[in-house]
Amino acid sequence: MIFALIRLVMVSLVLSSVVYVLLSIYSRSVRREKLEDEWDQEVKTGDRDAYIEKGMEEYQHSLRRKLIVLVYIVPMVVVLVLLYVINFV
Amino acid sequence: MRYVKWSFWAIVTISVFAFLHYTLPQHDIVRITDTYEKRIDFGDNSIFWASPDTGNATGATNRDVFFIQTIRPNGKPMVYRNEDTGWGWPPYFKLDSSNLQTEAADLKSTKENPQWVSVTHYGWRNEFLSIYPNAVAVKPVDGPDVRIIPWVNIVILTILAVLVLMARRMWLQFRERTIDPFLEDMDDASDSARDRARGFWRKIRTWLTSWRGKPRN
Repeated sequence: MIFALIRLVMVSLVLSSVVYVLLSIYSRSVRREKLEDEWDQEVKTGDRDAYIEKGMEEYQHSLRRKLIVLVYIVPMVVVLVLLYVINFV
Repeated sequence: MRYVKWSFWAIVTISVFAFLHYTLPQHDIVRITDTYEKRIDFGDNSIFWASPDTGNATGATNRDVFFIQTIRPNGKPMVYRNEDTGWGWPPYFKLDSSNLQTEAADLKSTKENPQWVSVTHYGWRNEFLSIYPNAVAVKPVDGPDVRIIPWVNIVILTILAVLVLMARRMWLQFRERTIDPFLEDMDDASDSARDRARGFWRKIRTWLTSWRGKPRN
């Protein structure tokens, strides 16, 4: 049992980490594209690179970036809920 | 080539459908006639059996498995196995097969005085492979015509569709922002290399011409 449980935890950790990394890259990429478009269409003054870097710096501290941690938390909660519903309801 | 492509996509589609059809939960309305347990020696059909009860030794070549015998409303039989899935696949995290067997035994009824039961299960019954769907839950219902809305499947399939669309968007974003600029750079690089090469040969040609003997006068 312990072996099977450890295997489940390890496999889900690895999969979650892969998803976490891919999602982080995607989210950064989308934010950078948005900043570029913003500068090209609305700001148009000052240094373009500086504007984008400042925006990415803000993104680093944003809630949106931190929410990606849910990739680890949601599956765990789902497993716990399933365990309860399947076996003890 | 077109037929190869079609066949490929047909096989992919059928495989995905079969996988989901096997794994997702379904409900049958049945009447339980009896429950039993039988020793199973796993053979060619071993991937269609789940795991020993959690906590027991693994890797045994045979063990006793619970079964639930039922009759469907159309009078035909259906036999379910009742095994723990434990921490393995499919992810039902079912640990209570003994409790389920007790509940199923408690819901036994006769043809004259039927107690209809909704059995939640996954898997297939196949006589050629001797495989049985795995019962996950039993619940008494009013009659054989009760309508059951498969909420779990609706939710799971919706989430799957969202995930597929999300993966597609991520891939498109990656292509637009990373692969395409890289390819353009490659193009530019090879263009400028060609220019440079052209310049180089032109220089050589000029240099060679400069050695050609000037017309003497």
